[in-house]
Amino acid sequence: MAGRSQHVEPIMENQTRFNLNAALENWRQELAGQLNLTSDDRRELETHLRDAVAGFQQRGLNDEESFWLARRRVGQPQQLAEEFAKADPAKVWRERVFWMWLAVFLSSTLGSMAGYIVFALMSVNTNSTARVVTQTTLYLLASLIPIIIAVSLAKGKWVAFFSKLTQLVENRRHLAMAAFLCVALSSFIRIAAMAIFYSRHNIHNNSFILQELASTIYPLIIALLLVWLIPSQIRRTPKRV
Amino acid sequence: MLAKDLVAASSKPLVLSILAGGESYGYEIIQKVRELSGGHIEWSDGMLYPVLHRLERDGLIDSEWKEADTGRERKYYFLSSDGRKALKTERQQWLAVHNTLSRLWKIKPVSI
Repeated sequence: MAGRSQHVEPIMENQTRFNLNAALENWRQELAGQLNLTSDDRRELETHLRDAVAGFQQRGLNDEESFWLARRRVGQPQQLAEEFAKADPAKVWRERVFWMWLAVFLSSTLGSMAGYIVFALMSVNTNSTARVVTQTTLYLLASLIPIIIAVSLAKGKWVAFFSKLTQLVENRRHLAMAAFLCVALSSFIRIAAMAIFYSRHNIHNNSFILQELASTIYPLIIALLLVWLIPSQIRRTPKRV
Repeated sequence: MLAKDLVAASSKPLVLSILAGGESYGYEIIQKVRELSGGHIEWSDGMLYPVLHRLERDGLIDSEWKEADTGRERKYYFLSSDGRKALKTERQQWLAVHNTLSRLWKIKPVSI
């Protein structure tokens, strides 16, 4: 056996050299496919696997042996996911609900802001042809923006920009501040847009201010929900890029 | 090797006792248990984390991501004040079982 492995080794080295980083990356991908694991669980398991690999290496095993032994010890990704889900079944859903509500919150507040800006521009512009042209262009642009963002995210562009954006919500206080700022800004824009509209049409009406303020209640509730639901790994430590 | 039921039951006092000696992370906890039990208690690596997460959810331990000396980040667990109380109760209960068995087997009991 010892004699045979001596013959085999040089050939093996030329053909396929074991790449530890690539193997770890593959394992991470496999783990990412498990829906029951949160990003924090995956990160914790990865540090464990790396510690186990380092432990075997210290005992004199090579990269490949260390990796496979460590991998076997940590366990099958699917089995791991089932065990983790048993410990806290609601955790994964809390995280999913958080991202869902974040999307709802952003699209509703940003959408209403954009809508009211268009509305304000419209009421300033009195020429009917120009009005139709601006209206169409602005609405087309507004509807294109989410599509452009979605496509570029899917293609992996602007990753640096978006990861910087997620750092804005790296803890509970930042998220609360950002969310309430969003709500305040959108209600300010709405009130300003309505004020412009009424002054252009010479209507004296102040009751709209109360009405617009009342309509911030729903986004405020979503903002509170988001702050309450914020996943623990964001609450405690900055998200790793 | 310990029976499965016993592994599950003893994981709580073992984890709490190890963390009573200072903060630690998953890999280190498993190594310690293996070492202290002389190889009689073998935890599968993946099984420990659900235990840790359950203890954390029950408020007995807390966790924090911290950078180790190697520069790599690890999730460290440490005992909370509730955990300290829970450990006291666990200790009394396990020693009660231990003493009963000791008397039956004519081994010297320990004081609780």
